[in-house]
Amino acid sequence: MKKVLALILALAMVFALAACGGTAPAPAGNDQPAPAGNDQPAAAGNELAGTYDILVWVGEAAVDLTKKQIEDFNANNEFGITFNAEVNPVSEATAADQMLVDIDAGADLYCFPQDQFARLVQANALAKLGDAAKAFVVENNDPGVVAAGTAGESVYAYPLTSDNGYFMYYDKSVIPEEDVDSLEKLIADCEEANKFFAFEAQSSAWYLASWFFATGCVSEWTVDDEGNPLTVNDNFNSDNGLIAVKGMEKLLKSPCHTSSSKADEFANGAAIVVTGTWAYEDILKVLGDNMGVTDLPSFEVDGQEYHLGSYNGCKLMGVKPQADAVKGAALHKLAQYLTGEACQMERFNELSWGPSNLVDQQSPEVQANPGLAALLLQGAYSRPQGQIPGAWWNIASVIGDEVKAAASEDDLKAALKNYQDKIEALFELDTSALLFVGAWNGWNNADEADTFYFTKNDDGTYTLTLDVPESDYMGGRIVKPGDWGTDKGFAQVTDGADLVKDLGADNPDNNIVFAEAGNYTVTWDGAAVTIVKN
Amino acid sequence: MNERVEKRSMGLKASRALSNTIIYILLIIMSVIWLIPFVCIVLQSFRVESTWQVGYVIPQQWGFDNYIKLWETNFPKWYLNTFIIALVVAVVQTIIVLCMSYTLSRFRFKMRAGLMRFMLILGMFPGMLAMIILYRVLDDLGMTGNNSLPGLILVYVASSGMGYYVSKGFFDTIPKSLDEAARVDGATRAQVLNKIILPLAKPIVIYTILTAFMGPWGDFVFARYVSQLKPLGMNVAVGLQSWLATDTMTFNNYTLFCAGGVIVALPVAILFMCLQRYYVEGVTGGAVKG
Repeated sequence: MKKVLALILALAMVFALAACGGTAPAPAGNDQPAPAGNDQPAAAGNELAGTYDILVWVGEAAVDLTKKQIEDFNANNEFGITFNAEVNPVSEATAADQMLVDIDAGADLYCFPQDQFARLVQANALAKLGDAAKAFVVENNDPGVVAAGTAGESVYAYPLTSDNGYFMYYDKSVIPEEDVDSLEKLIADCEEANKFFAFEAQSSAWYLASWFFATGCVSEWTVDDEGNPLTVNDNFNSDNGLIAVKGMEKLLKSPCHTSSSKADEFANGAAIVVTGTWAYEDILKVLGDNMGVTDLPSFEVDGQEYHLGSYNGCKLMGVKPQADAVKGAALHKLAQYLTGEACQMERFNELSWGPSNLVDQQSPEVQANPGLAALLLQGAYSRPQGQIPGAWWNIASVIGDEVKAAASEDDLKAALKNYQDKIEALFELDTSALLFVGAWNGWNNADEADTFYFTKNDDGTYTLTLDVPESDYMGGRIVKPGDWGTDKGFAQVTDGADLVKDLGADNPDNNIVFAEAGNYTVTWDGAAVTIVKN
Repeated sequence: MNERVEKRSMGLKASRALSNTIIYILLIIMSVIWLIPFVCIVLQSFRVESTWQVGYVIPQQWGFDNYIKLWETNFPKWYLNTFIIALVVAVVQTIIVLCMSYTLSRFRFKMRAGLMRFMLILGMFPGMLAMIILYRVLDDLGMTGNNSLPGLILVYVASSGMGYYVSKGFFDTIPKSLDEAARVDGATRAQVLNKIILPLAKPIVIYTILTAFMGPWGDFVFARYVSQLKPLGMNVAVGLQSWLATDTMTFNNYTLFCAGGVIVALPVAILFMCLQRYYVEGVTGGAVKG
């Protein structure tokens, strides 16, 4: 009897647990409903009126200012919106990581550096901007910064700053002013004075790219709406790339080099640190009048000079997708205010954050700031960061270590080849699958049972045999997973054109429309579509 | 015969002195290496002329500024959080562990060996494996963010029954005849535990309390996720780390961070000094018979 009782009790416990699982709220993350934002037509002002509890994450330095700015918004906005904001200090880099851990628990409004943008979009952690907000952002901000918050056709984030570039700080008591333009002289000065030259070329692709930009190399990417890489134009593995790594080798192999971008290197014996405007106040504290600020130097390979390039990046502010569309729309109004002309100017005055707003950028105070002035000087050699897929940072960051370890020119070439192979591998993942989306499988471009995947043949062509059932519209086309490209459809059909209908202008998506139902074999050879009726 | 012994003992004395000297020099070198980081942190916490990392150890200007500034931050709240968690865990976990050990040491029941083996295998899985699912469960129960206190206590206490090995080993060394004598005199099982076993096992009780207190006191990884970066839900480890999250924050908070570190180390250090005698007995006690 006892045993039976024990068994029943044990079962009861198990079911109690199971019940817990059932009633728990739906898991967070990607399962959320589509971003509400203000995708829908802009709501009239009074519809947004109300009080909302929100959580905001900004960098530690900006907490008090942001609180004040939100209060200003509460007092002055024309929509009758009041925010009860909890503003927490979370550094920009941490914010993105924490959003990806648990979007539900993340902040409604948060700031992040642009290199985190792609993965935040992929994770559905950013609400898309409506048309009005998009127009406002595009009109008032630096185009490079707007591009950083754009994926595909849509804008997902508000520009907060435009000062995320790097340049050179140096100690005037060690480095004579006339040497600052030549990398070789700077290295010699540091070695002589037994001081460090800090340049984070070994662990950070962001700094390392500087050398490649110097010789005219590019790594330009386009990403789709989900942040996955679509195309790349990358020539790091080239003759110019080899010149770049030869220049890099000079610094990395010098005993004075240390791979860092920290402001406090100056307190630890550095004479030069390559870093950005965020370190300005801190370095000023250490060096005082001895602080020098200028653009990056040039290096010489085979008698020719190359001026080091840089990335020109920014910080963005994002709105978390909201289940409550009205709250989402109200948050977009706040984000628009916080990243507007007045708030950016306040941030510049109190925190020295360089504005992305076009009017603010032209103001005399901004133009007179030494850090921003050096950035401007370096600006002639800088590239807007644009959209870069997250994987690139890891792929490129190892070049520095490989160059330092290189014993010969062949090793340098091998490092570049290794880089290129990894980039190509990134694309093979995406091009290795093709599928057919059509009216009869509900245009299903997802990993589900009724998705029609092509089989890849040994000769590189793709084949699919499928049943087309009788219906009014028997159309469809070949796409990549997650993609809706129109480049593999009716216009590419060569053999079997008699089996499909030519709809002319009625077929803007280049769909293959079968004339009658039946079983077909479709082949894609990389350029043309062949259709055979079975 | 006597002479020979004397001669040999003279040589023994000299060689012992020599080996002792070498051992002491080695130990001194090792202790200096071990102590340097702590000495640095203590010294840095008294530096007031700058707040960032510097290339020297001894401050140019001494003062308590960093310690005073600590009270204006969230640090007292983090400290209190950690203290409450550690205290509750120390009490609850000790009770559970001692009951468990007593049961497994003195009772003979079906599946006793099976249960012990099962717990041994469970213990081989790293606790981190369960982190994601535990986080989800806590989140659904509303025990994350600002309410992380009960959540963390629950997690730390939940698996404590499995840490019975050392104390069960110690209990095994206490003669069973004592139990039996007490039982003959009419004591209940609980009375045997409270009045006979526990007084005899004082070192192991103290050892259990100490380890139970130390676990949550220094925990970082789990506390970091459960806090969701809400300042009021952090423990000291997470809070202090948040001061060093980025380059520029290190710059302004480094000496403050050191001062926080010193304050965090204080209660544990005091606890250890007071209970050190028992601690050594406790750690080795269970090893006599496992």
